[in-house]
Amino acid sequence: MKFPWRYLFAGVACALGGSGTALANADLERHIANASNWAMQAGDMYNQRYSKLNQINAGNVGKMQVAWTFSTGVLRGHEGSPLVIGDMMYIHSPFPNKVFAMDLNQQKIVWKYEPRQDPAVIPQMCCDTVNRGVAYAEGKIFLQQADSNLVALDAKTGKVLWSVTNGDPSLGAVNTNAPHVFKDKVITGISGGEWGVRGFVAAYNINDGSLAWKAYSTGPDDEMLIDPNKTTAWKDGRVQPVGRNSSLDTWQGDQWKIGGGTTWGWYSYDKALNLMYYGTGNPSTWNPAQRPGDNKWSMTIFARDVDTGMAKWVYQMTPFDEWDFDGVNEMILADIDVKGKKTKALVHFDRNGFAYTMDRTNGALLVAEKYDPKVNWATHVDMRSGRPQVVSRYSTAQNGPDVNTKGICPAALGTKDQQPAAFNPSNSLFYVPTNHVCMDYEPFEVEYVAGQPYVGATLSMYPAPGSHGGMGNFIAWDAGTGKIVQSKAEKFSVWSGVLTTAGGIACYGTLEGFLKCVDAGDINKELFKFKTPSGIIGNVFTYMHRGKQYIGVYSGIGGWAGIGLAAGLEKDSDGLGAVGGYKELSQYTDLGGSLTVFALP
Amino acid sequence: MKSLRIVCVLALLTWAAGAAAEDKLYTVVDGYKVDDKTLEGFRTWRALACDRCHGANQQGLVGPSLLESMKRLTREDFRLAVLEGRLEKGMPAFSSSDRMVKHIDDLYAYLKGRSDGAITRAKVEPIR
Ligand code: HEC
Repeated sequence: MKFPWRYLFAGVACALGGSGTALANADLERHIANASNWAMQAGDMYNQRYSKLNQINAGNVGKMQVAWTFSTGVLRGHEGSPLVIGDMMYIHSPFPNKVFAMDLNQQKIVWKYEPRQDPAVIPQMCCDTVNRGVAYAEGKIFLQQADSNLVALDAKTGKVLWSVTNGDPSLGAVNTNAPHVFKDKVITGISGGEWGVRGFVAAYNINDGSLAWKAYSTGPDDEMLIDPNKTTAWKDGRVQPVGRNSSLDTWQGDQWKIGGGTTWGWYSYDKALNLMYYGTGNPSTWNPAQRPGDNKWSMTIFARDVDTGMAKWVYQMTPFDEWDFDGVNEMILADIDVKGKKTKALVHFDRNGFAYTMDRTNGALLVAEKYDPKVNWATHVDMRSGRPQVVSRYSTAQNGPDVNTKGICPAALGTKDQQPAAFNPSNSLFYVPTNHVCMDYEPFEVEYVAGQPYVGATLSMYPAPGSHGGMGNFIAWDAGTGKIVQSKAEKFSVWSGVLTTAGGIACYGTLEGFLKCVDAGDINKELFKFKTPSGIIGNVFTYMHRGKQYIGVYSGIGGWAGIGLAAGLEKDSDGLGAVGGYKELSQYTDLGGSLTVFALP
Repeated sequence: MKSLRIVCVLALLTWAAGAAAEDKLYTVVDGYKVDDKTLEGFRTWRALACDRCHGANQQGLVGPSLLESMKRLTREDFRLAVLEGRLEKGMPAFSSSDRMVKHIDDLYAYLKGRSDGAITRAKVEPIR
C-alpha cells in the first residue's frame, strides 16, 4: 500500500492550516512541487499550465505515440483534464459527473463514483453539460456536480466524506466549474447567467464542508464582502477606494438580484499576497435596454483575501455589457517585465477581445490591448478610466431592441472563452487558444420567470470576415507590451487548454480532434499532430510515471463551441439546407468522450 | 411594388369517426408578415430561448432540426414533446411556463409555417 503516509501527512497539514500559518495547503503544494504529478487543473496555483518535465521535447515530440486510451462512457463535451497524484489518476466526465480513480501501475479502476442527479438539471445548463474537473487535497477529491452539490470523496476509496448544496438548479443555478483548493478551503462558484442567477463565490472548509464565506458579485457592499474604504478600483489613472454602494448605484431598482455576474472560470492564488483571483460573467439579460447602468460588479476581475473573502481590488472590463462578453476567463499570475519593469502581474485574456495586464498586488491597469486584430466593438481601452471606447455602430444598446446589429467582432463566444492559455517562463510568452468568430446580435424584451431562461437576444455567428476564413487562431502573446508575437490560423475555434513545458513545446487540441504540439519558439512549426476519437475541448496535461513522461487530453466534442457554431447562417432564409460552421465540423468528428495518453516509444 | 402573396394553409384535422374539420393554421404575407397568433408563437419561441438548442433558424443544433421534425409531428406529438419534455435526452419540459401553456398552439402554427416553407425567415412581423 502506498497511501498511509500521505494520510498521516494530511493530518499534520490540517493542524497547521487550523493554526493560521500562511501555507497555500502544504499537502497540495508538495504534490505540485513534484513535476511528476498534475495535482491541480492548471498544474499549479498560478494558472500557468506549465510543466518542468522535458523528456518529451521539441527534438523528439514528433515521435510520440499513443500509449493508452480510456473511454468515459459519456457522449457530451469533455472539458478540463484528469489529475495525477503519485500512482493514481482521477478522471472525470460531464453530466452525470462520474469520477474514476485509476491505478496507473495496473491501469485498473480502483473506484468509481457516479452521483445520482435529477436529469431535469440537464436543460438548465446553457451550453452543454460540461464539467471542468476535480480538485485534490489532503487525501480528498473534490467534485463540483452539475446539480450544484459540492462533494468531498475519500481519494482512496471514493466514499463520500461530505456534501453541500451550493445552489438551486430549479432556478438555473447549476455548476460547470472545477473547485479550487487554496489553503484550508475549497472554493467554488456558480453558473446560470442566462437564467438571471446572482453570481457568487463560496469557500467551504475542506475538512467538513462548512461554509467559511460567501461573496456575491452584485448587491449591497456587505453581501459582496466589499469594504467601501479599503476595497479599491482603477479610477482616473490610479487605484482608489470604491466607495459606498459601488454595485447598487449602477443598477436600476432591484435588477441586480437577477443580474448575473456568475463565476464559472478558473481561479488562481498568490500565497505571498494571500489573494485569490477570478472573474465574473455577463449581467442578465442579454438585452441591455432592460438594465441601464454599469451593472457592477459583473464582468469584473476580483482579488479576494482567501481567509476572509474580503475584496482587495476590483476591475471591470466591460461596464454595461451589450454583447455577452463574460469576464470569467482565467487569471494567470506571472512575474514578468511590463514595459521594462519587473512586475508581479496578472494576465487575463478577456472574452471582449482585450488582453489585460494588471499589477496583481493592487489592481493597477498596466496594459490593455486587442489580441485579435479583428476586434471592432471598441477602438481601445482608455487607460485613465479603464473603460473600453465603444463604437456606436456595434452598440446593441444604442441600436436598440429588435434591431439586428451586424458584424460585431468578436462574437459572444469571445476572442477566447474558458479554454485556458498557458505561460512559458523560459521566454515569458503566453500561448493563447482563440476564437476568430464574429456575430449579428438582436436583443429583445424578455420577462424574468424564475427557473426559465432569461436570455433576450438572438445571435448568429460566423468566421471573422475578411480574414483567413477559419474560426480560430493559436497565438503567442507578449503581455509586457501587449503584442501578438506570432499567430497560427486554425480552421475551427481553438477550444482546448494549452500546455507548455520545459521541453520547449506548446500543445493544444482542435475541434476536429487533433492534438497538436508546436515549437514554443516558432508556433508555426507543427511538430506533432494526431487525430483523437472526437473533437477536443479539454485541456492538455502531462505527468511522469515510472520514469516516463506522458502527455494526455480528453476528447469529446461539445461545449458552447460544439453547439454554438451551428448558427453560422448569413441569411435568415438559409435555414433549410444551409451549411454553417457546425455542420462543417460534423464532417470531421462526432460525439464521444475519451482520454488519449501519449508517450515516446 | 411586389404583389402580395398570401398563403393560407388548410390543415385537415381528422377527429373521431372520420369527421373532418377545417382550420386555418396560419396566415403569412410576403414570407414574413403573419397573423397575430402566429406572431405570438414566434414571441414564445424567442422568449423561451428554444434557439439555444434548435438554432436561430430552427435548423437544429444539439436539438434536432424542427424544420424537419415538424413535417412529422402531429399537434399532439408536439404538445407532448414541449410540455412534458424528454429530460434524459436534453429536451426541457415547458409546462411550468404560463406563456407556453397559453401559446403552444400559436407556436405550433409558427413552426409548421417555417417547416412548410411558407414562412421564409425566422423573424416574423405583424401583417399590418
Ligand atoms: C436544452 C436544449 C433544448 C432546448 C432549450 C429546447 N429543446 Fe427541444 N429538443 C432538444 C433535444 C436534445 C431534443 C431531442 C430529444 C430526443 O432525442 O428525443 C428536442 C426535441 C424537441 C422536439 C421533438 C422533435 C422530434 O423530432 O421529435 C420538439 C418539437 C422540440 N424539441 C421543441 C422545442 C421548443 C418549442 C423549445 C422551446 C420552447 C425547445 N424545444 C427547447 C433540446 C432542447
